[in-house]
Order: sequence, then structure tokens, then C-alpha cells
Amino acid sequence: MTLNRRDVLKASAVLPLAAAMPVAAGAQDAFAPRPGKWRAFEVVTRLEIARGQGAAQAWIPVPSVNEETWFKSGDSTWTTNGTAALVTDAKYGARFVHAEWASGDAIIEVTSRFGTQDRAIDLSSPGSATLAEAERKLYTSATALIPTDGIVRETSDKVTAGATSDLEKARRIYEWIVRNTYRKAATRGCGVGDIAALLKSGDLGGKCADLNALAVGLLRAAGIPARDVYGIRVAPSRFGYKALGAGSATITKAQHCRAEVFLAGFGWVPIDPADVRKVMLEEPPTNLALDDPKVTAARAALFGAWEDNWLAYNFAHDVMLPGAKAPVDFLMYPQAETAAGRLDCLDPDSFRYTITAKELGAA
Amino acid sequence: MRWAAFAALALSAAGPVSTSGHCHAIAPPGAERARLAFQLTDSSGTQLSLGDLAGRKVVVHFFATWCEPCREELPALDRLVARSRDRDLAVVAIAVAEVPVRVKRFLAQTPVAFPVLIDADRAVAKAWGVTTLPTSFVLDADLNIRLAVEQAHDWDRFDPTRLADQHSREESK
Repeated sequence: MTLNRRDVLKASAVLPLAAAMPVAAGAQDAFAPRPGKWRAFEVVTRLEIARGQGAAQAWIPVPSVNEETWFKSGDSTWTTNGTAALVTDAKYGARFVHAEWASGDAIIEVTSRFGTQDRAIDLSSPGSATLAEAERKLYTSATALIPTDGIVRETSDKVTAGATSDLEKARRIYEWIVRNTYRKAATRGCGVGDIAALLKSGDLGGKCADLNALAVGLLRAAGIPARDVYGIRVAPSRFGYKALGAGSATITKAQHCRAEVFLAGFGWVPIDPADVRKVMLEEPPTNLALDDPKVTAARAALFGAWEDNWLAYNFAHDVMLPGAKAPVDFLMYPQAETAAGRLDCLDPDSFRYTITAKELGAA
Repeated sequence: MRWAAFAALALSAAGPVSTSGHCHAIAPPGAERARLAFQLTDSSGTQLSLGDLAGRKVVVHFFATWCEPCREELPALDRLVARSRDRDLAVVAIAVAEVPVRVKRFLAQTPVAFPVLIDADRAVAKAWGVTTLPTSFVLDADLNIRLAVEQAHDWDRFDPTRLADQHSREESK
């Protein structure tokens, strides 16, 4: 089944998020995403910058990913008391709304729609997927925080030593991260994603922007195309995993980045070792062991599959925001600047932004 | 090799390096000076350049508010400033890839008496070859790098006068 942008926009059965969710299965049930049913969602990002800060600008990410088998970005619209325009990053195609205000209260509300479905790649049955050379080059390159030399290369070489195929190397890296890192609750937001610093520190704790970026870096250092996918959870997990879904319709702090690795024959394969560590730390009764059945199920599934309760914003790194004082390492949070400088995107209360989600029924 | 040896000697004179830290070879001074020059602002918008600190030994400390070892190191650097007040030592911290409001909030909880500048786009950190946080450099009064320490260092055991003595012996050879 496919879904085009028109389908997303035509979805009319608007339901409250909770009402739209199927009854959650018990967490003891297997975590086993399977494609087959597209779902449509609407996400509203409202941002306010209080009067008295002079001229202000904001950059709000909107869905930019279009992948035939799992994600269709719909249109984004907005209302504001300033001026705003939709901007597309030239390198990665990441889209965001750039808003500007000369003075006074700055307010903007951006509404985005998208459709998505589960992913599950059959890794026993390769097809004919290939990657264009330009994309291969882009997704094996270093970024500001994902170097592919030095300690990253050394670590990648050790982890993949003796592996004879990209699939085997990718699985080794995934398993190495699951076994050797941990989710650090104290990490602000989703983490910084400075993977060389992470490795040099010897303390491999962090959140998704750290641990999945580490997977991407180790894969790229092994010459295998890989990319972070920056997004936000929009609905509960229908498999009953509290740690792997949004807890309510307000998703202001539900940002989550996943990752993909390109394997010849299979195409882009979803992976999320960071979520395995999240299940271990957070899934009730919490602090689960690697051999806990809930962890085992998530660990098996999250190399090759992921659930459709998540919005994919973009794949972008080192994004130059027009008019901004400095680039951002990745664009997963709303960003804003006043004369005093950039506001703290990890503090939505002082920054005053909220993000809400609702399901628009089956797409 | 001379600079690597000097760095090791200086560290030895200053006390043992913390177990997680290590020093590395430093490029010869002079040629690198222009590359290392910076002018940055603090979280209140006050500007400071490296050149403003010439004439004193300077500790340049790269950190981030999210970096856990940094939370212990900044107070130790503050104590170093307090006990080195009459010894022509300046400390300047550089918050890497941070936003002013976050640095301001951090400093409200961890106040320090030395300037804390913001390297929003990592340009200065890149120019200095910083690849991990915290990383610190000790410069002589001519702003030549004499010491580099990656990761946390025990500044309570650092004696800047020993660094100067060692420097004098090196130069007189």
C-alpha cells in the first residue's frame, strides 16, 4: 500500500490521540513491527518569544523525509504575527519554517501532516537495491561531530575485524553498541552527538543523538553508508512498550533520532540500538537485564525494523540556518535567536514552545 | 620532541595528571600564533581576545555545560585563580557550541571569577585542535602554548611557578 501527499492531506477522521490508539498490548508481547497499514498524523508546533527581546528569528523543522515504503511528508502551513517562509536545506533537503519578527511578541504556529507505516526488512532475502554514488559519498562522509578517522576509525576496525560482509559488520556494530553503551538519564535532551569525545571519555553513556550517532559514525568509518534520522515520537507503542512511545498528545520533549544503514540488496535498513538501551533503563520495572524478554524482543527487532509511531524530520547534519549566528549540529528541535543570542532549544519552558500530535485516522 | 618532553616535564613538576587525562606533543610556537588568536564574547556580550591576556601566563580551558568532568574542573580552576592572584596567571574558559542562555544558567549554579567565553560555531575549538572536552592549554606570557591536557586535570595540584621555572631552564640550554 502506498500513500501520497494528497492522501495525507485528505485524511479527515480527526481523532484525539488516545482515542485513535489501539488498546496497548501487554509489554510482554513481542516487539514486532510489520508494515501493512499506513497511519496519518498531524503535528502542531507553537513557539512564542516574549516581548522585550527585540528582533527575533526562529527555525522550526517540518517533515522532510519521503521514502516510498515508510514515510510521506505532507504539507506544512503556519500562522504568525511575523513573516515566515518554508526553506529547504540544499545539502540534505531538510525543510524548516524560517520566521522573523522586528519587535514585540513573536508567535508562530506550524501545522504539519505526514503518513507513515512500520518497517521490517527481511534480511535473509536480498533484493537489488543500490545506492547512487552521490548518496554513498554523502552518507559515508564525516560531519562536525561524526569524524570517521582517529578513535572512531580505530574502534570501528576493532569491532568489525574479521567480518566479511557489510551486513555482518553492521550487525557487529549494532551489537557492540547495545552491549557496551548505556542510556544516561542525566543527559540533556537527546544528547550532543559528539562521538569522538564520547569514545575518548571511556564513559559510553548518552541518549539517542549520542548512541545512534555512534552507530552511524562506526558504520561510516567502516565504509558503509549510514545516516541519523532526526524526528519525534508521536504516539504510544502499540506493543505496550512505554519507553518506545509518546506518553500523551503533548510531545514537546519526545524528540528521538533513529538511524539507518544502507546494505546492498536490502536498501536502507532501520536500526535503533539507542532504543534497546532505553528499554533496559526505562521499561517497567526499569533497569532490565540484557536477557530480559522485553529487551530481547526489542534488541532482535531494532536491527531491521521500527514502529510507525514516530515522525521523521530529516537526515541533516551541520545545518546552516539562514540568518543564524552559528549552524546547528542537527535540526530536531525548534531553534530561535534574539539580539541576546540563540535561545536554549532544550528548555522549551523558558523558550516557550509546545509540540502536540494527533492521529488523523487510517491513511 | 623538545616540546613533547617539555610538556611531560611541566606536568610532572605540576603534579600527577589525573588518571583519565594525558598530555600530547605541542607544535612549536610562533607559526601557530595567528591561527590560535581569537576574539569571543561571554554570555553577557562582553568581548575578550587572546591578545588582551598577553603578559600573563594563561590557562585556556575548553568545556561544555553538558560535560560532567567539566563541572568539577571549573571550580578547581577558580581556586587556581584565587591562589595565583599575585602570580600573573589568567584563566579563560571557552564554552564550545553552547548558547548564551544555557551558559548563563550554568554559571549561576557554578559561579567562577574568570571570563567564560562562547565558541558558538566551534571555530576556535577547531583552530586549537580540540577534539574532546574538557581540554586545557597553558600558555606562557608571550601566548605560546607550553602545555596541553586532554580531559580533566587536577588543577588543585598545578603550580604555575614550576611551569615558569621549567621554561627558563629549557630556554637557557
